[in-house]
Amino acid sequence: MRPQASLSPKLAARPERAARLDGSPWTPYWFVAPVVLFLLALQGYPLLRELMLSFTQTSLLTPQQSTFIGMRNYEELIARPDFWHVIAVTGIYTLVCVVMAISLGLGAALLLDRPFRGRGLARALVTIPWAAPPIAVATIFAWMLNAQYGIFNYPLKLMDLEIGYESWLDNPRLALPAILFTTIWQIFPFSSVVLLAALQGVSEEVREAAQIDGADRINIFKVAVWPTIRPTVTLLCLFITIWSLRRFDLIWVMTQGGPIGATKTLVIELYTRAFVSRELGEAAAIGMVGLSIALVVTLVYFWATQRAEKAEGRR
Amino acid sequence: MNRSTSHAVRIVLILGLLGASVFPIYWMIVTSLTSSANLFADTPQMLPDPSQAFNYADTFRNTGVLTWLTNSAIVAVGTMVLSILLAILPAYALSRFRFRGKGGVGFLLFATQMLPEAMLVVPLYAIFANLSLLDSLGGLILANTAFTVPVITWILKGAIDGVPLEVEEAARVDGCSRLDIVLSIVVPVVAPTLAAASVIAFFHGWNEYVFARTLVSSQELRTASVGLASFIGELSTPIHTVMAIGVIYTLPAVLFYLMVQRYVVAGMTAGSVKG
Repeated sequence: MRPQASLSPKLAARPERAARLDGSPWTPYWFVAPVVLFLLALQGYPLLRELMLSFTQTSLLTPQQSTFIGMRNYEELIARPDFWHVIAVTGIYTLVCVVMAISLGLGAALLLDRPFRGRGLARALVTIPWAAPPIAVATIFAWMLNAQYGIFNYPLKLMDLEIGYESWLDNPRLALPAILFTTIWQIFPFSSVVLLAALQGVSEEVREAAQIDGADRINIFKVAVWPTIRPTVTLLCLFITIWSLRRFDLIWVMTQGGPIGATKTLVIELYTRAFVSRELGEAAAIGMVGLSIALVVTLVYFWATQRAEKAEGRR
Repeated sequence: MNRSTSHAVRIVLILGLLGASVFPIYWMIVTSLTSSANLFADTPQMLPDPSQAFNYADTFRNTGVLTWLTNSAIVAVGTMVLSILLAILPAYALSRFRFRGKGGVGFLLFATQMLPEAMLVVPLYAIFANLSLLDSLGGLILANTAFTVPVITWILKGAIDGVPLEVEEAARVDGCSRLDIVLSIVVPVVAPTLAAASVIAFFHGWNEYVFARTLVSSQELRTASVGLASFIGELSTPIHTVMAIGVIYTLPAVLFYLMVQRYVVAGMTAGSVKG
């Protein structure tokens, strides 16, 4: 996002010169080959096997006896009402994670952007949740959310509210909010750190000009801050969406998808199918559905950014 | 709102933010230093009780935590070393060369972000079974590296993009090979980012749970994440022992992170914010 004017002519000519530096045309291929082979072996090939598996009926107990059944796993998935519940939980989980992690992250970034004493320390402390291992986070939050002895319930208990004796993770209505709260606590520092870096690009001149024009804080944000950080926000949306769709550890350890499926996202359902029901074929089909959703989100993101770039070019 | 009120509001908000970020970790420490009797008292104990420090010695003695931490450290360091070794050359190639298939490589790196670990664990289990990689820390390292290497490559590419070509040209004129240039000139220049990338890969290995839980079955090869998770829902281990394990597992990572966070943040944002 560097402004064009700061590029010296020398630097602008860079790609051509980089290309001329090449010795053998094969060099780049030698350089990327190990990683490509490694990823094809450990991501590509397993993915292919998972795809094949999704067209079969295979048990974890007897994986050798695999029967090809075509699309039946997918048909059965779509027919099951609880599968749509899983999709809904996944959707809510992802959406709330994205919205909350980005808005809290932005709020924190704006608070920590302007100089004050101890800012360095404050910036470091805010990133602590992100550095803590997810399983440790799940463990401590499960304890804090404990019905009788959890610290979260203590103030409610003091106020003598009935809700004070509620076990959050055992209650179908409270479990998902509790899981969301934990997840957001853990991930919002990531967006705040990335947004803090993006805020460095906000032009002081535009900010000051807006100030002189008598713009209030909201307008300064609209004119000077938002246009600069918007690409970063979009990118964060994409990454947090994909990460939320993938999220397993925290949810599994805190609730295993329960109670009565209240926190069962696609990956939790996938894992339960594979390792509890031991139906590898069905699990694979669920995985493919999840992957398709991630792909669609990514394509929409690229389509939207392309459109935005074009619109900006026209202006 | 006048200036000093808004200043006060800001300070309150910042303190609230910091409190919310730090409190769960603090509470883990307090709980680990609370006597069994006080754990279930009507009023929670708000400050750590130093007289309970023996709980840590007992925890080390009576649980597998030391073995788990060792395993986690092996996995984390292995993931870190392998990721860096694999990522340097492709990062350089993606930054400096134009070649047919470059977009494809970039897409491959990006696409791995979309694959859930929980989905690949089934086929990986089968593949590892055939290669005798099941139930080994080496297998875990390989599986983790498959998820860190794309990110690390991307971060390093971002750093190499910022290195002026002039730095390399002199060596080129002197007849150095590409590999020499990367190893003796580019790597030292991007050393801070390399350090940041190492830390990110290390943390991934240290924190990872899905693979550690499924690809390893021996008790003595458990990592700390699996060991700690095994206590949830189990009633026989006292909560202050579980929290002590949590602290032993979390605190070194967090302190290490705080020491290097400046570099990590710089490295991470170099890769992700430049658009």
